[in-house]
This record gives sequence, C-alpha cells and structure tokens, in this order.
Amino acid sequence: MYQDYLGEVKKLLHGKDYKVVGKNVIRVDAIEKVTGRAKYTTDFIIENALIVRAVRSPYPHALIKKINKKPAFKIPGVVAVIIGDDIPGENQCGYYLDDQPLIATDKVRYIGDIVALVVAKDKESAWAGADAVEVKYEELPAVFDPKEALKGDFKIHNRKSPGDVKVIKGDVEQAFKECDVIVENIYKPGSQDHAYLETEAAIAIPEAQDGILVISTNQGPFRTRNAVARVLGKPQSQVRVITPYIGGGFGGKDTYGPIISSLAAVAAEITRQPAMIVHTRYDSFVYHFKRCPFEIRFKSGATKDGKLKAIEVDYLCDCGGYAAHVIGLLKRAAYHSTGVYEIPNCNVQGIAVYTNNLPVAAFNGFGNPQMLFAVESQMDLLAEKLNIDPVEFRLKNALVPGSRTGTNQLLDHSVGIKELISKVAKKADWVKKRSKQKRWQSETKKRGIGIGCSWHGCGTTGFKHDWAGASVILNPDGSVTYSTGIVEIGQGTITSHAMMVAETLGIPYEWVKVELNDTSRMPDSGETHAQRGAFIGGTAAVDAALKLRKKLNKLASEILKCDEDEITIEDGIAYSLNDASKKISFNDLVREMYQRGISPAEYGFIKARRGYPDPDTGQGDPYAAYTFGCTIAEVEIDIETGEVNVLRLYPGVAAGKILQPDVVRGQINGCAMLGLGYSLTEVVERENGKMVNPSFTDYLIPTIMDKPEIAEFISVEDEYKYSGYGAKGVGEIAFIATPLAVANAVYDAIGVRFYDLPISAEKVYFALKRK
Amino acid sequence: MKIKFQLNGQPVEAEAPIDETLLDFLRNRLRITSVKKGCDLGECGTCTVLLNGKPVRSCLLLAVQIDGEDVTTIEGLSKDDNLNPIQEAFVKEYGFQCGFCTPGMILTTKALLDKNPDPSIEDIKIAFEGNLCRCTGYDQIIESVLRAAKLIKR
Repeated sequence: MYQDYLGEVKKLLHGKDYKVVGKNVIRVDAIEKVTGRAKYTTDFIIENALIVRAVRSPYPHALIKKINKKPAFKIPGVVAVIIGDDIPGENQCGYYLDDQPLIATDKVRYIGDIVALVVAKDKESAWAGADAVEVKYEELPAVFDPKEALKGDFKIHNRKSPGDVKVIKGDVEQAFKECDVIVENIYKPGSQDHAYLETEAAIAIPEAQDGILVISTNQGPFRTRNAVARVLGKPQSQVRVITPYIGGGFGGKDTYGPIISSLAAVAAEITRQPAMIVHTRYDSFVYHFKRCPFEIRFKSGATKDGKLKAIEVDYLCDCGGYAAHVIGLLKRAAYHSTGVYEIPNCNVQGIAVYTNNLPVAAFNGFGNPQMLFAVESQMDLLAEKLNIDPVEFRLKNALVPGSRTGTNQLLDHSVGIKELISKVAKKADWVKKRSKQKRWQSETKKRGIGIGCSWHGCGTTGFKHDWAGASVILNPDGSVTYSTGIVEIGQGTITSHAMMVAETLGIPYEWVKVELNDTSRMPDSGETHAQRGAFIGGTAAVDAALKLRKKLNKLASEILKCDEDEITIEDGIAYSLNDASKKISFNDLVREMYQRGISPAEYGFIKARRGYPDPDTGQGDPYAAYTFGCTIAEVEIDIETGEVNVLRLYPGVAAGKILQPDVVRGQINGCAMLGLGYSLTEVVERENGKMVNPSFTDYLIPTIMDKPEIAEFISVEDEYKYSGYGAKGVGEIAFIATPLAVANAVYDAIGVRFYDLPISAEKVYFALKRK
Repeated sequence: MKIKFQLNGQPVEAEAPIDETLLDFLRNRLRITSVKKGCDLGECGTCTVLLNGKPVRSCLLLAVQIDGEDVTTIEGLSKDDNLNPIQEAFVKEYGFQCGFCTPGMILTTKALLDKNPDPSIEDIKIAFEGNLCRCTGYDQIIESVLRAAKLIKR
C-alpha cells in the first residue's frame, strides 16, 4: 500500500529527465478562465430555481421559544418555510463533532445561527419572507471571551470544551533547570476572513430515482455529499455533488461548503424543485466561519551554547458557538509547536473553548500561523538574550534527516529546512542588512529585517482518515480521460495531476483531459485542504497511471518481442531501448489492449503513510511528510503614522519536487499577500461575536498598491519517496512564514515587540507613543 | 423599460427593469455569466465591463443607463479559442488562479493598453487599484499586462 512511487517512476523512465513534470505548461483551466467561459456555481443558471434565504438569529445566545411560519406565507412568492423539525434526515452538520444542528431547534449559539429557511419563487419574496417569519427568543447570558467562558457559569453546550490536545515528551521541569535563558510570553494572534472573491453558494436539483444533485462552492465534494445524505436521510449513493470551478477557498469553503449545500438540498428535497442559496458579500463576511483566534502562553528555554532544551505551552482556541473545524486545527497547532527545531522536552496542552462568537473555519495554515507566530517570536527573543544572530540560532536547532519531532516522529528523509534557511538568508543578504551600523533610516522612517520559519504536515492530521482516489481511462484513439476527487480552487492541482498522468504514461500532457469533479465517478477522496491535493490526490493519479503503464509495457514487449525492462514510452511512442526501430504508437498499443480484452481503465487509491498520535501524550506520527518554509521580510515603519510598509519579501520552500514552477510561484506570492493581510491590516472587528466591518471598504485585504517586491522563491527539492514524483504540498507553507517574518522585522526596526496579530498602524502608533 | 445598446459590437434590444443593475441584467437576462458578482457594492472589481471603452463596475450602474451606449464584456475580446493577445499573455504568465477576478482584470488591461500602450509598473498598479485578487499576489497579473503590451506592439 505504501509504495516508493518516486523510485518506481524513476525506474520506469530509465533515469531520464522528466518531459512534463517540473515544466511550465498551459494550465488545464487556462483557456476557460481567460475567456470567461469557466463556470462557477452561480453561473449554472437553473430556470425557475427556487431561492432559499436563511432566517438567522439576532442574538448570540438564546432559547428558541416559538417559531411562527404563517406571516411568511402572506408574501405571495413564498413556497415553503422550513424549520429544524422539518428536516427529512438527521438535523446535524457538525464537522468533526455532532454538536451543530443545520437548523437550530432549541437554542441559538451565535449571531447568525440559522433558525429557519424561507423558500420562494424569487429573491425579493425569499428575503421578505425571511423577515416575516416570527421567532420568539429568550435571551441567555452570552460570553465572548474564552477564558471567561471556561471559568464562568455559562452553558452553551453540555460541556465547555469540544476537545483538547497534549504533546508530552521528556522532562520539561528538569530541562528548564538546565537552561541558561528562558523566555515566557502570551501571544494573541487574531481572526481573519478568507475574503475569497466568490461568495458561498449552492444549487440543489432533484434527480431521477429520488436522488439529488448538488452544485456548490465546496472544497470537499465527498464531505459535502455525506453531509447532504445525512440531513436528507438518504444513502450516500443517492446524492451526487458536482464541484465546478471555485472562486477561491483557502479553507473557508471546506468548512462552509457542506453547510450551504445542505441548506439548498433540504429546500430542494422538501419542495421537489431546484433550489439555490447564494450569500451576498455581507452574508459571507458576517456568517461564514473564519480563522480561529488563539491565546498562547509560550515558555521556551535554551542553553548558552544556543541549543533549545524545552518548551512549555498552553493555549486556548476560541471556537465560537460550535466546534466546526476547531478540533483539527487545535491538534495541528500542538503537533507543530516545536517549530522547525529539535526540542527534546515538550509539554504542550491546548484546549478549544465554546463561546458565543462566530464559529471557526479551516483557513490556510490551519492553526499553524497562530502557533508559529508564538514560536518564531520566542526564537528571536531567545536569540537576543543569547546574543546569537537569529539565523544562526535557527540553524543550530533546525531539524535534519534523523531528527525527531515533538511528537517523536522520526524524520528519515525529505527534511530540507536547514539548507533552505541558509539559502534564503544568503539571497536576502541577511548578514549585511541585519547589521545596524550601516542601516538606512531617517527622522520619520525606520527599517528592519526579520526571518520566519514554518512547517506544515502534508495531509490531514493523524486523528482522522486520509485517502484519495483517481481514475484513468485510455480511450481507443489514445486520448486519456482522467478524474479526481480533488477540487480546483485556483491552486492548479488538476494540471499537476494531468502532468503526472502524462509523464507516467509517456504521452504529451495535452492528451489528458481532466473531467468535471463529480462524486459519482470516484471513491471518497477526502477534502482539498491540508496541502494534500498534489500530495495525496496526485499520488492516487500516479498509482492509477502506473498500473496502466505496467500493462502497456508488458503488451509492448509482447508485440515488439523484446524484454519488458527495455520498453520505454516517450511522446506517445513505445519502443525498445536496445533497438529503437522496434516501436509502436501509443494509440495502436491502446487499441491492442481493447482487442485483447485487457482493461484500459484503472482506479488509483492512496492512504497517507502516517499514524495516529496517542491522545494522552501526543506521541506518534501525525503526518506522512512535512513541507518547510522560510521567509525573510524587510520593512519600513513610518514612526509618525505607525504604518508598516513591507518593502521586500524573500520566500523559500522545501516542498519536495516542484511540479509546476510558475504555478508554485503564484501560490507563494499569493500566500505572501494573504500573510501580509494577516500581519498588518485584516482586523475582524466584533460586537457580541458578530463582525461589524463586513465590507472590502472596512476589512482591508491587500490591493495591488500594497504589493511589496517579492523575490523569486528559493526551492530546496527535498523529494519525498512515497508520493508521486516526490512532491510535497505547497499551498499553505509560504503563508505561514510571512507574518512571523514581518513581526520579527518590525521588532528589528523599532524595538517594539507585538504579541498579537495583526500589527495595525494604530497599534504601532500607540506603542511608539508609549515608548 | 426597453433599451438599445451595442454589446461586443452587436446591437442589442432588451427589456430592462428600471431598478436592475447592469450586472444583474447582463448575468440574469442576457446570460453573460463571465461578469462576476464579487461584492455588489463597487469594492472588488470582479464585475468590471467596458462602457465606451472605459472600465466601469457593472454593479454600480443601472441597466437603463447603458441605453444608446457601447458595452464590452470579455466575450467581445476573442472568438472561440482564438485568444486576444491580452488573454494569451494571462495564460502564459499565469495571471490567474481561481479565475474569478480574471474577466475583470483582462478588461481592465484592455482599457489601460488602449489608452497607454506602454505602461510602467506604476501605471499598471494605478489602473488595477480597484481590482482585488486574493490568489496571485498580483505579480503575475502585472507580468501578464507587460507581456500583453509587448504582444500588441509586435
């Protein structure tokens, strides 16, 4: 089951250079996207589809005493009003835990909790109907601070916490006694909105045999299908989810996709008519779940020769009214809390706490940007106390092949972080720029430089499953039909898959057609998150293509009357390496497969090669492999306004084989800008847990004017042997490193350390005034 | 109200409710779904169309305001797969990821290059200030515009 895919592929290619993998090709989705023909959920216009509008709670915490549907029916276009009791199946849509009804029946737990759906013939009627539904509430005391929630007499659910995590290794108490320097601080990295340009939407259409088809903005077609099947009380086979192009996801549509899909599906099932629900930008800002705010107490110690000895960490995750995604990101943060360093003694304890805030979602980095912000701030503080250069300090402690992580996972190969740090530092001219003597500054402007290192386990965290399928069909004309359960959210993964299939089969990339993502084609393939699209999904593609390639080689050797090992297939021609005149075209070979009754179709299926850490100690192998990141930031601070201007970023990744260099560059630069927003400007302002700056005018995502110079990324190709072509994931790593580098650069510039994110101009201004 | 206007070089006559935005009119009545709704408030630029060659946000205009005017959407730039040089540049320079902002970006490029065939990076930044992109980090969009300028000059 765990094959050395890298070795197998290299053997098949007889050690020759790749023809497709690692090159820049025209993306599968390019032509559709630049001509405007690419279809997103709301572009599937269904004639006479009913419009669904949710009735949402205005209270953060209240009992539902009575719901009166009748006034809504006075509005002529209203067709149905649906409350929780009307749901045909189970009224449950929790992500990891069964704590969240799709439509609340007894109580509401955040502002925006759904209490009813109005289904109408047009948008105006649906909105008017939603306003007309009468809901009587009895307000309950609400709590928005997780520490208060833990201590006080609040009962949001029948328990205060949906889950916790521990990583216990070595003897922390003793280790701290042996430390020469110890640093302890409290960090409060905040929330963030995904702010993808396409808002959440879903269309549900009744199909033959009582089935239902859902087209929606989601990152997890199978989770979406399973969620819909559950609320409709149908077997999973009765629900088909088509995931068209997605206008940005970043994790948000992983969490909210199944929810919004279930809302449309319930309406369609009850009315037996097509139904659609579309979030406005306001709805998206105010109601879709966001990045989880953390509060982290972090204590770390090192000896005077600069070796890290111990960490002691406890942290709270404010998950809001329901657990949603918190369990996963809570665990991921703990398993990465050593940072990219070898630390023999760890005591890490995290807990998620229910409050009446908006619940939290998956979001690029998934707990790691928050945790590693603390880790990397601590690293700089320790380095300063030890009077060691921050880069040197990191190099002294960085993980190397043979190292063990905080969860005691042995990293036997594919650990490129040390080389990466050196290369990024060199590219950024760190030593010279870090020197204070020659640094440029003026009366009003001060400059600084900082480093941030990140790591991110590829694939889901070791407490849930991680598998994926793929299928390859060789058509009689030699063209290839490829299907995957991985979603194209902009990251370019389906192109990577097509490239790997082409390389493995020995044909031009253009011969591979990637089919529309449809759950009826594919076994459960999990979600498109956790840097797993190319890593797990792509390996499934290679698995399927390899099975066919072996059949092709065997068949070619029979036809060409030579040894199987001497067969190679290149550019659509199979030939003998010993005698190139012995050849047959790929098309003829495929046709021969059909003639001889050899199946020309194969499924690939992959399970991540990792374990499940012990729940009491956190010891184990939570991820198959880790991607590493390192970013250096140069900033200039206007000390009159407090504005932080990022001048330059030097990103780098150790992400195994880079499948598409220009696409990866786009990912890294995009991540850098998403990270700049989290570092500096993106403040989710809340009142009673509700976002009160829900527009692009008040919630500031980086525009083209905010773009710093971003250097060409450094790549250390530390190939991972159990994945297709040695690739690891790359979608999140560059994001995580950015805020860490910026925060450290701000300190370098003005000598003020910020323990919370984002570092807004206002905060800098007042901090400088206090100074 | 009945309106008459030029759409991508073709005359169009259609019924437009007086309170309907140009964006909804294009998407829902004319089925031109390349024009995207990102915010409906004039803040994101995904619904950009060209009105007499100038980029405008179709969510901030009423359909009735285009009576007698000339409107271009991305469909007006190319026929079938014969890409316009701007589209070709966006393909080659990877000036898109999720693609949701792309039609607006490409139309903004068209308006810029029609007016200024040799823009500096600063000119490009000013022209694209109102077009948000959450995926690319903008570098490859800027490179797409620069390549498009070169392709057009050639």
